[in-house]
Amino acid sequence: MTIRPEQVETLIRDAIANLNEELPEGDRVDAKPSTVLFGIGAEIDSLSLVSLVVDIESALSDQYDLDIALADEEATARPVLPFSTVQALEEYILERANESK
Amino acid sequence: MTLGSYSGKVVLVTGSRKGIGLALAKHFLDEGATVLGVSRQPCDIDHANYHHHLCDVRDAKQLHATFQQIAKKSALHILINNSAVLDSQHAFMLTATSAEAMVRTNLLGPFFVSREAAKIMKRTRWGRIINIGSMAAALEPAGDSVYAATKAGLVTMTNVLARELSPFGITCNTVGVTAIESDMLNQLPRPAIDAIIAGLPIPRYAEHDDIFNVVDFLSSERSAYITAQTIYLGGVHG
Repeated sequence: MTIRPEQVETLIRDAIANLNEELPEGDRVDAKPSTVLFGIGAEIDSLSLVSLVVDIESALSDQYDLDIALADEEATARPVLPFSTVQALEEYILERANESK
Repeated sequence: MTLGSYSGKVVLVTGSRKGIGLALAKHFLDEGATVLGVSRQPCDIDHANYHHHLCDVRDAKQLHATFQQIAKKSALHILINNSAVLDSQHAFMLTATSAEAMVRTNLLGPFFVSREAAKIMKRTRWGRIINIGSMAAALEPAGDSVYAATKAGLVTMTNVLARELSPFGITCNTVGVTAIESDMLNQLPRPAIDAIIAGLPIPRYAEHDDIFNVVDFLSSERSAYITAQTIYLGGVHG
């Protein structure tokens, strides 16, 4: 199954919305492309990032039948982690989804 | 028909083909659970609520694919990490192949399985991960340098996972099993094991019900505030 950029965007936005439900009001994050998820200036903590990634993996599998491990060796071997921003994450998901077609 | 205490629960047991894993799988089935068994070879359990998955716990990629399939079909509430291999030899005699097999099956296997299981448990914000440990971790018997180390490592891994997974409502505990009649026990020199058992506060071999008792306790709804604990049988203490 293929997935379009706007579908990935929706998927990430939904996952961030779910995450925000669990976070205190002051810690909630925007789902805009420039939101930093990892590294210097990250707007969420590491536990929230893990939770977000797992939720997105589950949604990819449930909604699009795409069984992709986002946090695998391929991701961590990159000079810039693909979870650094919302936009980077979106691009990485599309890239991996295309590979698994 | 009365509902068992695990009615509505889905339990995954690794190494369900024989020994403690087989006994636990049958116990959960008797108590009304749906049981997902995992082992490298087929299992003889013939029960409507038993589903077997051929999978090697040492293979992270294979496990990921297996759990993706499980996630599409069901929830997962309880995980029993039971798969283990034992080669009891003096350090001079233990082959590198055997040593590596114990590390991969007894330590890395439960890690790979636990994180995949936790991803499914996270959805319902409820989970019980119970790792089958060994008295060897506490008693450190000669001949078990690597086996005991893997089981001690399993305890540490369990306790770290307890921290990492508690935000998702998942508890992680270890049952430290003493010697029990099994294929694994038959690989060991019986006089040496008898001597170890004779030195325990309760000097007898374990029985399956001793294990069921602790597993039931750790699996219960009421054990939500119990995590990062190791409960040894027979009076062994770490």
